[in-house]
Amino acid sequence: MRHRAPAVSQRDRRRRSVRRRAAGLAALMIVGAWLAPAGAQRQYVVAFANLTEEPGATVEGTGFTGREIRESFVLAARAYPIEMVFYDNQRDDARAMQNAEAAIARKVDLYIEYHRGAANTAIGEKLKAAGIPVLAVNYPVPGAPLYTVDNLAAGRVAGEALAQFALRSWRGQPTVAAVIGNLSATADRVPERAQGVTQALGQRLPSVRVTQVDTKGNPAQVGPLLGKFLAAHPTSKLLFAATDDATALAVKAAVESAGRVQDTAIVSHGVDRTIHGGMNDRREIDPANRGSIVIGSVAFYLDRLGYEVLPLAMRMLRGETLPARVTTRHILVTAANVFIEYPPYDMN
Amino acid sequence: MISRAILAVATALMVLAFGTSSFAQTDCKKLVPASPWGPNDQTGATNRVTPPVTKAAAAEIQDGKVIVMSYPLTDGVPLFGSRFSKTILTATSLAPGASFGENELTYMEDTWLSQSHVGTHLDGMGHIGRKDCYYNQIPMGKFITQNNMTKLGLEHLKSFATRGVLIDMVKVYQQANKFKGNSACKKPCLEKGTVITAADLQAGLKMYNVTLREGDIVIIHTGWGDLFEQFPAQNALYNSGEPGIGKDAATWLISQKVVAVGSDTWAVEVIPGESPKEAFIVHNMLLTDNGIHIIENVRTDLMAAEAASSNRATFFFSMTVPKAVGLTGNFVAIEGIR
Repeated sequence: MRHRAPAVSQRDRRRRSVRRRAAGLAALMIVGAWLAPAGAQRQYVVAFANLTEEPGATVEGTGFTGREIRESFVLAARAYPIEMVFYDNQRDDARAMQNAEAAIARKVDLYIEYHRGAANTAIGEKLKAAGIPVLAVNYPVPGAPLYTVDNLAAGRVAGEALAQFALRSWRGQPTVAAVIGNLSATADRVPERAQGVTQALGQRLPSVRVTQVDTKGNPAQVGPLLGKFLAAHPTSKLLFAATDDATALAVKAAVESAGRVQDTAIVSHGVDRTIHGGMNDRREIDPANRGSIVIGSVAFYLDRLGYEVLPLAMRMLRGETLPARVTTRHILVTAANVFIEYPPYDMN
Repeated sequence: MISRAILAVATALMVLAFGTSSFAQTDCKKLVPASPWGPNDQTGATNRVTPPVTKAAAAEIQDGKVIVMSYPLTDGVPLFGSRFSKTILTATSLAPGASFGENELTYMEDTWLSQSHVGTHLDGMGHIGRKDCYYNQIPMGKFITQNNMTKLGLEHLKSFATRGVLIDMVKVYQQANKFKGNSACKKPCLEKGTVITAADLQAGLKMYNVTLREGDIVIIHTGWGDLFEQFPAQNALYNSGEPGIGKDAATWLISQKVVAVGSDTWAVEVIPGESPKEAFIVHNMLLTDNGIHIIENVRTDLMAAEAASSNRATFFFSMTVPKAVGLTGNFVAIEGIR
């Protein structure tokens, strides 16, 4: 007796067909994953909310602009499996919050926050609630690791350089020092820079008096302000720590006008494009200008911020825990190492 | 006693002299690899252009079509840094009564004041080094005079009569949906700072079903040369950076044992570079470490169009390089023959 196979309804056949297709698809996916090149990496979407991108506006009491900072992220991202999304915080709490909300809506993998303001706490909480890790730049976001310039350390490098110069060249001669720049820019932490200079000079040259000269951010005031200082010290050697490169160049011009070049040494902060150049635009810090009274400038590398921050971002994305605070490695850039630190690369 | 003192001084001087010499040599051995063609090699990668290589390349000439691959050398084109190129015409013979003989022959000629790395040009072995160490571990400080080099000059180069392979990066990026152009280019061009990888090059070769052979010359079309053609209007932009190969692509090209790498850009490599603290690192990799020439400001658009219309990206590479003794490079004329 032959058994008849049980009757199969059309619906059952459809179900079996769907199951078979699903199983086939799953098998294909497994084989595909197995065959995928070992080097295939996950792509991440990383948001960078910049302090400001206002044309020409400089940041951190230096000559660097927000645009340079953004560009550094564009260039640095080339080396990573990262798609960058950019926001402009416009130095505004409300805008910064809107940017964070937009990034949450976009479901970015990591948020890099460069903002100075009370909103940072709320922004951090909001992103945390959305499960988006935060990396703070220059200003803390509670609970997030921070990458920041170290103004105090930078100031110490500058003060140390001036002290070494004085000990080498003017030992035993009457010497005075001045920290000059936008010293009232507390938001940009310029006073920390001045404090670092004063500390280093105090340790190495305890007998040298350090005067603070506040330009209130106007380099055009350097001449008039220094006129009084120079007149008060007609026979002394002069050490100047300028808190930014534009001020350093103004100091140089002022001492040249006063005929005090032989008595002067200047160290600056920043190393922006006003003070170092490329193949053709020879500037103050240049291998061909080793005799300059501008001994050097302490590098802040804000035009390379992306190169410093994105490796940290990648570590976070891969699950590593970062130190709570990572700081810029500030070094003195002089005519001897400027082409090593900033090799000229364009044809202009 | 005196003779002992003289002997001691002489010994000290000899130790100093030989010591200094061997120190410099040791340094270069640490900084630059040795040439695969021996310790006396000053030629570099054109050693690969052997008769069989040239004969095989001749098979690329199928219909006799000649494609121009160099730009006109004239005032106003973009030049690197403080480089210059200037001509002065001598035409005194055209003055009334200055012609020669019954046939009234007249003549004109030029004085050409120019630096060698201008326009479409070849970088020779003496162009790029690490400190004073150049190709094949040569300590060039010992081999330069006020006028030229006494080693690694262009006179040591062999033939460039080999196969050229065009890789169209514009098409690669367009097909991969990752093309980001620059609006100043009238024809599509990759944006400056675009890092061309080994995978990009391989995709470009696959597009035309080409496999590189030892002895090939690779020409990369980025479209950036469009800005060169707009001289002088776009010189500042052209000079401000460029798309180009990164270290990964350079490493791969080295492994393919090519003779030269050229592009429609002023440095062939990506600018700004991958690391802001490295200067023209691909130049070091290709020239200093491997003797592979770099050809800059190559006109690539015509060959790219030809390749696209014929679906063939290979050609016979015809380039004239003067036997300019002791020079680090020179402008060249290139034609791709099909």
